[in-house]
Amino acid sequence: MTTETVVRLDDVRKEYGETAALDGVSLTIRRGEAVAVMGPSGCGKSTLLNMIAGLDRPTSGEVTVHGERLDAMTETRLALFRRHHLGMIFQFFNLLDDLSALDNVALAAQLTGSSAATARRRALELFDELGIAGRRDVYPAALSGGERQRVAVARALMNRPALLLADEPTGALDSRAGEQVMDLLIDLNQIGQTLLIVTHDERLAHRCASRLVQLADGRIAAESALDRV
Amino acid sequence: MSAVWAAARAAVRRRRLQTFVIALVALLCTATAVVSLALLDATSAPFDRVFGQQRGAHAVAVYDPAAATAEQLAAARDGVAAGAGPFGQSVAETKAAGPIGSMLGPLSIVGRADPAGDVDRLDVWRGRWPSAPGEITLNAPPEDAVTFSRGPMGELTTLTANGTTLTVVGWAYSVSHSADAWVTPEQMTAWKPTGAQMLYRFDGDVSTRDAVEQRLAVVTAGLPGGALLAAQPYQVVKEEAAETAGVYLPFLGAFGVLGLLVAVIIVGNVVSGAVVSGFRHIGVLKSLGFTPRQVVAVYLTMVTVPATAGAVLGTVLGAFGAQPLLADTFRGLGYGQDTGVQPWVWITGLLGVPLVVLVAALLPASRAHRLSAAEAISAGSAPQRGRALRIQRLLGGTRLPRSISLGLGLPFARPGRTALTMASLLLGVTTVTFATGLADTLIETSRLDAAAGGDVGIRPERAGPAGATPARLDDQEIEALLRGLPGAAKVGASAGRSVPVVGQSSPVQVNFVRGDVAAMGYQAQLLAGRWLAGPDEVVASAELINKRGLAVGDTLVLDLDGTRTTVTIVGETLQSLPGPGDGLFAAWRDLPGVDPFDFYFQVELAEGADVQAFIASVRAADPGLMAWDNTDVTDLTVVVTGISTVLALLLATVAALGVLNTVALNVQDRRRDLGMLKSIGMTPRQVVAMLVTSMAALGVIGGLLGIPFGMAAHRLVIPLAAEAAKVTLPDYVMRVWDPATLALMVAAGVLIAVLGALLPARSAARLSIARVLHNE
Repeated sequence: MTTETVVRLDDVRKEYGETAALDGVSLTIRRGEAVAVMGPSGCGKSTLLNMIAGLDRPTSGEVTVHGERLDAMTETRLALFRRHHLGMIFQFFNLLDDLSALDNVALAAQLTGSSAATARRRALELFDELGIAGRRDVYPAALSGGERQRVAVARALMNRPALLLADEPTGALDSRAGEQVMDLLIDLNQIGQTLLIVTHDERLAHRCASRLVQLADGRIAAESALDRV
Repeated sequence: MSAVWAAARAAVRRRRLQTFVIALVALLCTATAVVSLALLDATSAPFDRVFGQQRGAHAVAVYDPAAATAEQLAAARDGVAAGAGPFGQSVAETKAAGPIGSMLGPLSIVGRADPAGDVDRLDVWRGRWPSAPGEITLNAPPEDAVTFSRGPMGELTTLTANGTTLTVVGWAYSVSHSADAWVTPEQMTAWKPTGAQMLYRFDGDVSTRDAVEQRLAVVTAGLPGGALLAAQPYQVVKEEAAETAGVYLPFLGAFGVLGLLVAVIIVGNVVSGAVVSGFRHIGVLKSLGFTPRQVVAVYLTMVTVPATAGAVLGTVLGAFGAQPLLADTFRGLGYGQDTGVQPWVWITGLLGVPLVVLVAALLPASRAHRLSAAEAISAGSAPQRGRALRIQRLLGGTRLPRSISLGLGLPFARPGRTALTMASLLLGVTTVTFATGLADTLIETSRLDAAAGGDVGIRPERAGPAGATPARLDDQEIEALLRGLPGAAKVGASAGRSVPVVGQSSPVQVNFVRGDVAAMGYQAQLLAGRWLAGPDEVVASAELINKRGLAVGDTLVLDLDGTRTTVTIVGETLQSLPGPGDGLFAAWRDLPGVDPFDFYFQVELAEGADVQAFIASVRAADPGLMAWDNTDVTDLTVVVTGISTVLALLLATVAALGVLNTVALNVQDRRRDLGMLKSIGMTPRQVVAMLVTSMAALGVIGGLLGIPFGMAAHRLVIPLAAEAAKVTLPDYVMRVWDPATLALMVAAGVLIAVLGALLPARSAARLSIARVLHNE
């Protein structure tokens, strides 16, 4: 881990009508860190993730990721930023049903302008690394939950992101598939991938994260370093 | 409130855009259908409609006033449902100043106190009814104020009939054609009428000429023998009217059918799409305990309420929107009567579209009825597999930008929805292509007309009529004058004469021509043969050839002032010179005793010359010369191009709405995919490009497929209209298609698709990723 800051939130507030989903959150994540965000439902976990992913804008405060102020960007610049610097994995995978596993992954590179052949080559490397090479031509509907999440991870890593964001990555998986995904995230962090994991699952947080941020009522209630189990 | 109503209301609130689209599509489709049906109705029985409104006379009978008294005529009513008369009648030679003087001829004038009554209720469309001796109202189909003031009728203020100078106080229209003009009974009495007119409407069957004659025989049975001088069953005027209507019928029929097809397809697509996209919701309702019937009821309510609201508004909009088109159509048909939209069209608009909606919704809803809750939920999010997947894979391997290749693959995910959208685009392009070809052909024909007719027509004033100044120049001097006036490029001269033809029952109009007549377009528009080269050769108009069953190469024996002259028809032209009848062109010859009024001159002006200035200079040179602007386009061109433009725009808009609906449904189906694509870096512009591409591709295919249909409709409909008008069109007026025009038609398909897709695509580009993915 280096001291280089990948994410910095300064006094971020997000209101939905009268309700404050985030209320003055300040947070820093350094390169190579694996940070887990936990808290009860409605505490602002997903809102925090949306702010860092540039999917939503703060009502006030600053969000800086990879040295760039996301809160000041246009929609198009945000899209380009996400494309090059962020990878996201979701609880429900969000794969395109009408593309094969390989094409789902290649898509992320093709959006940056890579040719189909180049994108597929890079996707195949990732399939090999993630142990799903045999499933490359299968469509999402025929994949198991664990395989789908691996494909989603491959897609997220396609453009070598500075930050990998995971929203309840094991929430829709059985325990065995969940374990496999956890191992994968640990492996990625160990080779230097910065991680931010939003989860309800304490086991996931304790296995994968080096730091735990606990939210309550839109505020950071506690922060602590974790010894991975 | 029932659970069904509550669920339907909630669904409508949740799907405001879709509800709005259903209402809007129903509105526009209903409006299109109402306009189409109103036009079809107008062309199918225009005479009957106007005849019914005016309570037209089934028979117009003229009696000898010396043989039967007014009391006897009024009392003879066996089998008569309604009668009017007796009115004094006289046939008068008339004279008038101005160009219309040549058109008047002998007029049948009736003395009638008022235009109302149980039979033949006249439409006094300009001015008033005569109220004192010395006043006259003429019979003509209504014209709008501008056309009236620009035409020759506008200049007619006085005329001379039976030696009496009469002031023209108004214009009225009788579809029964009961007279050419009307004066007060006092004026008629002063003239000593030669006939007594009775107008009858009969009870019972009057469908055939024989039936009417039988009814009339019953009426006249009690009258003195020989009292009936002449009678005209209404079928005579109806048959004449049918010739004009026949020209319009193919055009309007084609647009009417296209309009109805597009309306039904788009309503079907929108509604079935709404129900299919709601399958997931249907599953949820079932899981809550709604019975299958209740679920179907929710969905039928959800789509029929906005559709019915749209249909009501669309019917009103269509009925009022059709008024100017109907007025134009009827004016073009020669009735000029704005008769409004018929009740059956209103009823069809109000019930027809909601019924189509109901049927379109019922088909997918009945499938939802059969599905279990779990199946319905999964069916709602399951696009087509198989071929769609293979195509996506192929597209993914191309060099196209990924947003474009993804867009090209989208239509294959829902082939049924795509097919209906494509059909509406195809019909949209077919309509635009047909309308374009039609307009081009009519404009080309009109251009031919204008070229052949010259820019200015000139006729010497006839001596005699009130207000007329006879021309002081003879025909040679007039031609020389016209050639010398600034702006004149070509001058043609003709002398028209009605000439008996040996072996034929009616004479033929022969125009003896000299000067630049041939070079002014008549030679250029030869349909067959060649232009005349000697005194024993003639060229005939297509109408004359068709009416009399002649052909190029035939000979005619003309009885010219007692001398039999054999001429050969060496050519066939599209049209004849303006004037009575469609006649022959013959070489100039000296014709003893020609009325100066029978000379006709036409002038083609140099490029940029002012028509009105030329007319003024002709009148200034000799006030006895009538000169008028010949450059006006025909009613047919104005009416048909006007209607075709309005309908093409309307149908293109409806087709674009169909596209809008398809894209809106696709976006709704793929909200999660769109959110994911944006989350991995697809820019808003790429989202728009992807969705617009998906429809533009259909636009290209719809364009390519729609063009041949449009061209075929053009190829089929125009000859039908020409046949009805008894004219033969030169081939080159049908050759309106060139690569640039065809490319424009494909572009029209793309434009309709892009315009329809743009709005929902932009809205998709603005989708909040956080909300879409969070909802999952």
